[in-house]
Amino acid sequence: MAKLVIEISHAPFGHENAYSGLFAAMGWVSVGNEVLVVLRGDGVHVARKGQADPLGEISLPPTEKQVVDVLGEGGRIVADRRSLEVRGVRKDMLIEGIEVLDTDDIFPLMLEEGERVLTF
Amino acid sequence: MVEGRKKTVGMMLFSAPFSSQYADHMCRLAEKALEKGYNVEIFLYGDAVHAQMSEQRPKTFFPVGDAIGRLVEKGAAVYSCEICSIARGYIKGELKDGKKDYSSTKVIAGIRFCSIYGFVEMLGRADKVLSFGGS
Repeated sequence: MAKLVIEISHAPFGHENAYSGLFAAMGWVSVGNEVLVVLRGDGVHVARKGQADPLGEISLPPTEKQVVDVLGEGGRIVADRRSLEVRGVRKDMLIEGIEVLDTDDIFPLMLEEGERVLTF
Repeated sequence: MVEGRKKTVGMMLFSAPFSSQYADHMCRLAEKALEKGYNVEIFLYGDAVHAQMSEQRPKTFFPVGDAIGRLVEKGAAVYSCEICSIARGYIKGELKDGKKDYSSTKVIAGIRFCSIYGFVEMLGRADKVLSFGGS
C-alpha cells in the first residue's frame, strides 16, 4: 500500500490547514492506502477531544470527527510530546487512538514512512 | 534528461500567490522539471486556487498567472480543488446535462478541476511529491 505522511502544524478553526490536511488524509486512506498524520507545534490542538463550535460562529469545521474517521480507516496519528507539554495539553485530553511520541522518534518515522510528505 | 521511464513529479500548492513566495518557487521548479524531462502534475489546494485566476496583473511580484499558463502550455497537468474553487467563486460545479459545470471566465485556460480523489490519484502516480506552502 502506498504511504503518505501529512504534517500538520496549524491549530483547527483558526486556519484551513488542519481541516484540509485531514481531508486529504481521509481521501488517501479511504481508497486503501496508508497514512501517517504528524501533529506538531500548534497542530497538536487537532488531537484534543471535545472540540465544538456550538454557536456556529467560527464556520471552519471542527477536526475531531475527521481524526476519528482517519483512525477508523486504519490511519495512524501521532502527536509531538514536547508540543503538547508546552501548550498544557495532557494525554487525558486527547482523542482516543492518537499516539504521543518524542520528537526524536517522530523524525525517523517520517523518514521511514515518507514516500510522499505534505505539509499543512 | 530523465533516463528510462519518464518520471512524474507531483506538486501540491497550498498558499495563495503574492502573499508568499511559495507559488513562485513551485512554478519555477515545475518549469525546470519539465525542461529536465519530467512529467509535472500540480494540485492547487485551499487558497492556492487563487493562482488559477486569469488576467492577474502584478506590478512588481512574480507573475504567477503567466507562469501557470506557461506550464499548462508546456504540458504540465494543473489540477485545481473543485470545492475550494466553488467556495471562492471561480466555478459553479453544478450538474449541467449530466456533467459538472466547470466553465468559467475567471480561470486560466487548461486548468482541470477535480475532487480530493483526483488529488489522491495524482499522489499515487507521482514518483516524487513536493509540498509548497501550508507550513
